[in-house]
Amino acid sequence: MSDATMTPAVLPPPVLGPPPAPRVPRPERYALANGLRVVSVPRHGIPQVVLRLVFPAGSAADPREHRGAASLVGHLVTEGTAGMTAEALHARLDLLGAAVNPYVGHDFAEVETVLLSETLREGVGLLADIMMRPSFPEHEVERIRAESLDALVARADEPANVADDRMALEVFGADHPYGIPSFGTEEGIRTVPREALVAFHAEHYRPANAFLVAAGEFDPAELREALEESFAEWTGAAPPIVYPHAEPAPPRAGRLSLAPWDDATQSEIRIAGPGIPRRHPDWIRAGVANFLLGGSTITGRLGANLREDKGWTYGARSHFSAGMVHGGWVAETAVDVEVTAAAVGEMVNEMRRLMDEPVDEAELRRAKDALMLSLPRVFETPAGVASRMATIEAFGLPHDWWDRFPAEVEAVTADDVRAMARRHFDPDRLVRVVVGGGIEE
Amino acid sequence: MTDTITPGTTSLRFPVRTHTLGNGMRIVHHEERAAPIVAVHLMYHVGSRHERPGRTGLAHLLEHLMFEGSLHAPKGQFDDLLERVGGTNNGSTWFDRTNYYETVPSHAVELALWLERDRMGFFLPVLTSEMLEVQRGVVINERRQGYENRPYGLADQRLHEMMFGAGHPYSWPVIGYMPDLQAMSLEDARGFYQTYYTPGNAVLTFAGDLSADDAFALAERYFGDLPPGPRISPAPPPPDAVPAPAVGREVMADDVSFPRVYQGWATPPYGTREWVVMDVLAYLLADGDSSRLQRALVREGRLAQDVDTYLYPTAVCGTFGIVSTARTGVAPEALEAAIRRVLDEVARGVGDDEVLGAIRRVRRDQVGELATVEERADALSYAATVLGEPQALERVLEMYGEVTADDVARAAAQWLDAGRGATLVIVPSGNPPKDEDGDSGDEGEVEG
Repeated sequence: MSDATMTPAVLPPPVLGPPPAPRVPRPERYALANGLRVVSVPRHGIPQVVLRLVFPAGSAADPREHRGAASLVGHLVTEGTAGMTAEALHARLDLLGAAVNPYVGHDFAEVETVLLSETLREGVGLLADIMMRPSFPEHEVERIRAESLDALVARADEPANVADDRMALEVFGADHPYGIPSFGTEEGIRTVPREALVAFHAEHYRPANAFLVAAGEFDPAELREALEESFAEWTGAAPPIVYPHAEPAPPRAGRLSLAPWDDATQSEIRIAGPGIPRRHPDWIRAGVANFLLGGSTITGRLGANLREDKGWTYGARSHFSAGMVHGGWVAETAVDVEVTAAAVGEMVNEMRRLMDEPVDEAELRRAKDALMLSLPRVFETPAGVASRMATIEAFGLPHDWWDRFPAEVEAVTADDVRAMARRHFDPDRLVRVVVGGGIEE
Repeated sequence: MTDTITPGTTSLRFPVRTHTLGNGMRIVHHEERAAPIVAVHLMYHVGSRHERPGRTGLAHLLEHLMFEGSLHAPKGQFDDLLERVGGTNNGSTWFDRTNYYETVPSHAVELALWLERDRMGFFLPVLTSEMLEVQRGVVINERRQGYENRPYGLADQRLHEMMFGAGHPYSWPVIGYMPDLQAMSLEDARGFYQTYYTPGNAVLTFAGDLSADDAFALAERYFGDLPPGPRISPAPPPPDAVPAPAVGREVMADDVSFPRVYQGWATPPYGTREWVVMDVLAYLLADGDSSRLQRALVREGRLAQDVDTYLYPTAVCGTFGIVSTARTGVAPEALEAAIRRVLDEVARGVGDDEVLGAIRRVRRDQVGELATVEERADALSYAATVLGEPQALERVLEMYGEVTADDVARAAAQWLDAGRGATLVIVPSGNPPKDEDGDSGDEGEVEG
């Protein structure tokens, strides 16, 4: 480019052909004799197997007096079984190169196991031992308890975490399972006795309400045989979790909840409301409206305003969270503390704009295309496949959910978007949380 | 305990074909038909390493500017056009390279290429001081969010200064120092672009659902006529490629609740057998609950909440690190002593099964990471850029299966020697802990 006389030719923008059809996997579905549902999605190419075993045993199942039990149990099942000490179990897993990762959210406890394909048989055997016969050794219980308490303290060092926790409390309240973090409370973690953890596992880690998704490179018949054999003695059903079904009504709707932060150079901003349950028929309509507002950190209205136009932030986005009941919705960003009040004002303006002005066809077209045409990519990896199939099982969605996704997105109209904005992005019905400064209450 | 599963049976193969354009741009193609998508990856052989003190952060700032539009695809259009066809895009800056990449459904490959062509051939006309000011603000924000306003946020920056000493190209952070960001001029940005953003300094990789012939033909069409630009003389390597640290140990206060120990060592560079041995060593030390550091520090030792190791695939030399956060009431010196004990033990010898497990765990992570065409395109581009050719990736991956227990012990003795490491300890500054329940909040109504 140092020779200014040699300017390259101007090429016209390319005209593209039709997009390829997404290849939605066709799983085999069956249940073991004990009721465990299995979703099997084999595919040759990447020599790994991803297993996701999911139980309705998230923090929503915590006993009132032991808020933290679900999370502790999820992290303790790999700390020794009836047949193997924690040391022996980990040595075996590490030698196989197997990763066993627990995730405990509000609704579900999940164990994700990633295996090299050549180690499938033994991996399944170890997984079954872990799920069916964890021993909860006293010293491991105390170690995990102490680490969890330390993690709680460290968590509070980050303004973003404080903002998230405050937001959940404001929207759902302390009595709602989603109102406190899924790892529980300081008191709950500190005081729950080992016996309660053992009881929680015995009650909730049962096959009849659980499911397992397997994706990656494996022989489906071999997998089925390994599951039947390893999980044969597992029986029973967990009691259903009782959820509050009324839509949360945040008492500080339309107002600000401010937590000052010493020497903050930035403010964390959350504008949040109850959202909708994952199973709600509006999920896709609401998702399109959300995409327009803040589904993309740069091109959504929030990002375009706060980052691209003002340069106030590295990113601004919004999303609905999936839950068995209203899962929450939030618009979030972090901005220089001096512009906090202005940024909140701009976010509110963008939300009102989406409520008041119909979105034009070009912008709606762009959002729909972005959502529909992203589908080919999501089934690229075993982990991606496992995740999408798990969502269907977890929330009881129709099996053809992903096949129908493009048409359902296409059907969303500008009127739908405005209706969703009025229902879910109305600043007068949402709480504003700020951790930082630069704003007056 | 013997094991019937043999190492290295999980092999990772990434067949590639290559082509070079008349202007020096190298094209790499890797076919993968599993999903109807294509990763398009453009990597420039320029990073923070090519900056100079006083103007650090320029490569990263320029990367930001490159997302602000070009002559025929003005600001906003890039993301917009790609998003509407279901594509994603991003870029990043690192020590040795800067990349720009898109992943698109296979019908939209030409769109990605047209946009990259416009950036490569028609960017300077739109580079204005106004654009520079906005992105300067964004990057300063990014720096504050990731460094100044974050617990332990300044640790990595200080550790690198300690490890490499003033003037070494790895001593300054990729994002740059605040005074340098504030001083950056339009001429700085133009000059850097004209020097380094040339076809001859770039590798373009296609990975996914298209043929090699199509890929090369498209590359010719969209980049073949771009002028080559000035030849770049390679930057002279620093006098000591694998240096001993400039500062051995330092304590820094921060607004945190727990002490954290950061340790770093320079090692042989990415691409060498030694680097691969160090990678296996990193996994042996801290990946998996049965690993030595997890047991000595966390599970049995009860000294730390966490301990992690990492190894950067940097080109001048590798960067090996250990990071550990103390538990309540534990002094950081106890962590340092425990880590040192483990490293000395490992230097005396490790078990065959221990190494076999580490190799399998590395392999598991590699399989997972390289499962996407986007990651493969990155890895192949990186091998082409810093190792000279994309085929080097497969060679590096094959080296793992050959690592022995003797290799690992010897490498620990040679490269993780106490005198060769820098130790940075972050300690709580004594501010009262944040009150995280509702008491500290002031609630009320927003005006207007």
